[in-house]
Amino acid sequence: MSDQPEMTPQASATGPVIEARGIVKRFGGAVAVNDVSIAVPTGQIHGLVGENGAGKSTLMRVMAGILTPDEGTVTVQGSPLEAGSTRASIDAGISLVHQELSLVPEMTVAENIVLGATPDTNGFIDFKEMKRIGSDALNEIGVNVDLDEPVVRLPMALRQFVEIARAVARKPKVLILDEPTATLTPAETDYLLDMLKRLAEQGLAIIYISHRIPEIFAICDRVTVLRDGQRVTTVDIGDTSPEHIVDAMVGRELKAELATHREEADFGDVILSARGIEGEGVNGIDLDVRAGQIVGLGGLVGAGRTEFIRAMIGADIRTAGSVMLTRNGETKHLRGYGQAIRSGIAYVPEERRSDGLALTMSVADNITLPNRGVLSNLNVLAPSKIVSFSKALAEKVGLRPPKIELLVGDFSGGNQQKVALAKWLGREPDVIILDEPTRGVDVGAKAEIHRLVRDLADNGTAVIVVSSDLPELLELSDVIHVVRDGRIVGTLPREVADETSVMTLASGGSGLIGA
Amino acid sequence: MTEQPEAMDVPGRVAEDGLEQSEFNLVVWLSSRGIFVFTALLILVAAIFIDGFVSLNNITDVFNRAAPIGIVAVGMTFVVITGNYLDLSVVAQVATAAVVMIAVSNESNLFLATGLAFLIALVYGVVNGVAVGVFKANAVIVTLSTTFIGLGVLRWLSGGSIYFGPQDGPIRQFGLAKLGPFPLSMLVLFTMTILLSLVLNRTTFGFLVKSFGSNRAATRLAGVNTPGVVIGAFTLSAIGAMVGGFVLGAFSNTAVSAMSTGYDFRALAAIIVGGTSVFGGRGSVARTLLGVVFVSVLTNIMVLSGLSFGVQQMVIGALIVAAVSADSLARRAAG
Repeated sequence: MSDQPEMTPQASATGPVIEARGIVKRFGGAVAVNDVSIAVPTGQIHGLVGENGAGKSTLMRVMAGILTPDEGTVTVQGSPLEAGSTRASIDAGISLVHQELSLVPEMTVAENIVLGATPDTNGFIDFKEMKRIGSDALNEIGVNVDLDEPVVRLPMALRQFVEIARAVARKPKVLILDEPTATLTPAETDYLLDMLKRLAEQGLAIIYISHRIPEIFAICDRVTVLRDGQRVTTVDIGDTSPEHIVDAMVGRELKAELATHREEADFGDVILSARGIEGEGVNGIDLDVRAGQIVGLGGLVGAGRTEFIRAMIGADIRTAGSVMLTRNGETKHLRGYGQAIRSGIAYVPEERRSDGLALTMSVADNITLPNRGVLSNLNVLAPSKIVSFSKALAEKVGLRPPKIELLVGDFSGGNQQKVALAKWLGREPDVIILDEPTRGVDVGAKAEIHRLVRDLADNGTAVIVVSSDLPELLELSDVIHVVRDGRIVGTLPREVADETSVMTLASGGSGLIGA
Repeated sequence: MTEQPEAMDVPGRVAEDGLEQSEFNLVVWLSSRGIFVFTALLILVAAIFIDGFVSLNNITDVFNRAAPIGIVAVGMTFVVITGNYLDLSVVAQVATAAVVMIAVSNESNLFLATGLAFLIALVYGVVNGVAVGVFKANAVIVTLSTTFIGLGVLRWLSGGSIYFGPQDGPIRQFGLAKLGPFPLSMLVLFTMTILLSLVLNRTTFGFLVKSFGSNRAATRLAGVNTPGVVIGAFTLSAIGAMVGGFVLGAFSNTAVSAMSTGYDFRALAAIIVGGTSVFGGRGSVARTLLGVVFVSVLTNIMVLSGLSFGVQQMVIGALIVAAVSADSLARRAAG
């Protein structure tokens, strides 16, 4: 422990083990966490809930010393935690179990459990001690795994438990878990929840982040709801209900519809029809999209929405299912990605920086890439065509500044997203698939992109939108399919869809909340 | 930029006009523009301080020595721009082309030799390209292995012999030919540079090479046959190596399997010093030519100053480390 003087009077035995006060964390101009305070005493399981992007993970990373807050302090047993130092937070007794597993796949279970604190004598690994620590940690959480097994050979669920064993092996005072049940089956989830209760009874302070409302009500003593980076409420679990929590998470009143209301009759025939799509994380999805219709895919991160569309169009491997594209009465089976693109499908991927755009190339170059066929004669590029073509598209999407010769990487996120859209609009696609079309985009650009999407649909383009931004999904979609565990678990027409109904289906809370 | 969580897409420091602010950065500047200044300075310094640098014989000699490496390097530039580091197998390709040229034209004629050498180049391009582009194998290891295979076949078939062309044959005449004061090899180097520059800058293929090097995923998701791009790049590298082998063989009118030792590294040196990024996506054929001039002039200065071969090697090695580090620093600084 640090030998700094105790700064706060909370250091008594009954005070909180960990306390965050007035935490503010900004990224660039965006405020991810805004003035949030939270305190957890020994033996308490404190739930932390909120929609995607509400600031839960950022807050936890601040509390675990990974991120330095812009304002506010974190104290552990009354002593301030050195900000931005993972080492200091481990020494202070905070263990974080990440959302993404952070094990080294090639190393054994025992090696992973002691990773970062490998016992040694004079620089030589003490294998005996390593195994002792490993088996103690596994015993503590009541899981039986071969310590010498490489982690890569374990099923996903066991890896999650090894991750928790590693956190426990450090003898923490505070255990923070970020969506630990994302990859677990219901039985495994129950086991994990029981285990956490036991750990809390032994005196650990636990902060439990989850989207899944039933889990929160199963184990938590108190719950804090975050929305848009701010704390909405902190209540004892006995004083609240699942309905209240979902309302607090969702919060906003439904905005008046900006769009002109679009009627079922305005849509054309079914243009894209997918049947029984299976692939990595996709367990049999059917989907029909009509010309001029905007179909939204809702669900939690990791539910399989992106995996589904990628498997459907062949960008990733499709293990089963068929896709038919019907235009002008002519039906085509889509078998591969290249064919899908040539047949009139456009796909704007989720990760614009890694998958959507070549950041070190100009706007014109990026627009040329999918349109090179019409911008060249006999495979020789036609620079004058490229300039006029790119300028027209840059203008159409409202690129600012409209300078097509600049590198895409020099533009702001919103303008980059406009380029990612523009490059595909040049092909005048029949079906356009937008995965998180406005993530990390400022409000102005977001409205412009929404307008573009609606214009496309009004002109007969079939649109599929994947979005974790609920208001966006509700505003754009004519119909919303909610995906969970690689399946469509519910379909909500525009008239009945609201944030609560989508979230309920997405989080599997239908048993507790009447849908 | 500081470290940020990957899950959040951060707008960054956005200026009023929608562009991210960028400040002047010396490393970025040196990495992108430095070669022009350094080459000019080097030539200036050599002209003033080194006796015998500015003489027709010396300049002819510099270009005669630079031409074959330069031709190999302009071809290999395509592989580097795809982000596949380099084509080590040019060592085997250059020697094979030279041996085929002299040995086959001794037995029959130069046309047959050229045709055969061209076919061999295609085989190299396709084998390297398929392994790297289709099977996604590491380019360094693949081309190191095809070097072994190629040199192995060559030594086995030639029995390690040295081949000499006839004293009055077309190969010898080509090797001695001059256009005014300049050797023909120099003309070939410039022609190849112009041709390959056109391919890189004007054709859809060249565009896709740059695009693939800049972002593989985005290029694939645009519906591009990306393995074809990689195969094409390795094939152009092989054609450059074949022409380079012809020029090298003609220069000495001899050919032997060991004649092109070190060509892989020297070609890479020219490419990197010229400012083509080993991360792919950025670079040009003209820059490679400039890199060739820089490395050749530097070597020439060291020779004229009486520095030993060991010292020369050391200096060139240090130069590459500096150029590659600058490339990497510039990339990070540019975000």
